[in-house]
Amino acid sequence: MQHIGRRLFLTLLAVGGLTGIVNAELADTPAPDFVLKSVSGNNYRLSEYRGQVVLVSFWASWCGECRSQLEGLAALYERYEGAGLEMLAVSLDREQSQVSDAARAIGVGFPTLHDVGGDVGEQYDVRKLPYVVLIDRDGTIRSEYTGYRRGQEDQYLQRARELLAE
Amino acid sequence: MSKRHWPIFFLLLSSAVAFAQDDSAAPEFTVAAIDNQSRTLDEQVQDLKKLAVDLNRDLFLLEEELLFPANTQVAVFVSMDVGEFFALDSVEIKLDDKDVTNYLYTEREVDALLRGGVQRVFVGNLRAGEHELVAMFTGGGTHDRDYRRGASVVFDKGIGPKFIELTISDRENKLQPEFIIREWD
Repeated sequence: MQHIGRRLFLTLLAVGGLTGIVNAELADTPAPDFVLKSVSGNNYRLSEYRGQVVLVSFWASWCGECRSQLEGLAALYERYEGAGLEMLAVSLDREQSQVSDAARAIGVGFPTLHDVGGDVGEQYDVRKLPYVVLIDRDGTIRSEYTGYRRGQEDQYLQRARELLAE
Repeated sequence: MSKRHWPIFFLLLSSAVAFAQDDSAAPEFTVAAIDNQSRTLDEQVQDLKKLAVDLNRDLFLLEEELLFPANTQVAVFVSMDVGEFFALDSVEIKLDDKDVTNYLYTEREVDALLRGGVQRVFVGNLRAGEHELVAMFTGGGTHDRDYRRGASVVFDKGIGPKFIELTISDRENKLQPEFIIREWD
């Protein structure tokens, strides 16, 4: 019986690792507010999105998984922008040029922000990239995802739909 | 019906009448009561919400009074007038050569300022005496050029609170923005 329990635990851990639901420390806590400059030159404040469901993706140009994820998110945004799903990409790169070049190459249609000093990354306790948080209409973090595997956008979308329906 | 059955008959009759009365009163009682109850509950929730808002306001005021007592308080406000020659992006404030705030403005915030809003960008404490405030404004000037301008003021902090306003306005004759710092009396 103990043997079965251990196997079950290891299986759940492996499944958790594969699906990327690892960090649950910020779930159900108010999303820390931030204001950052985008590559287009405009400033964006998270709290101004109150009343909408927001997906925030932390990424960096040197991270391959992040670039693949952004491509998937860009396609998702094109389809679901009208449904009230907002997205913000927060880059933890050092140089602004790295952010704008990568965003242009990927073709990100939503605001790409540059966390110059890394303060926002610290606020959100980003340990591994890419890192995604889904924020509900009240400004509460409802889901977190660390890492990325192709097709995971469906998982984000399913959760976002639930939040949009609330 | 024999005489000995009369008591049983009356007993059954009275029970039936009582049951019928209860039955007729029951629907009226439940609909009205539920309606009343839900209204009362709704009012109670509203009252509670109002109480929570009032309590939050009192706590905020109390916190402000404790953190920034009137005799040491200094507050800096930002306002805009017209703004055709300058698109505000950020304001950096230094008090006695020390960075106290660096505020980035979103499109909505700039719009609110242009509509006449006044923003409290900083509140802090200063001892009585002479102090220097330096404000650095960055944004877009005419022809989409990056614009960075500073303005400073030396002010005397007395016993009461000190309020300073940073105003951005247009200087029509020079086609340039103007940055004015003034103290409120």
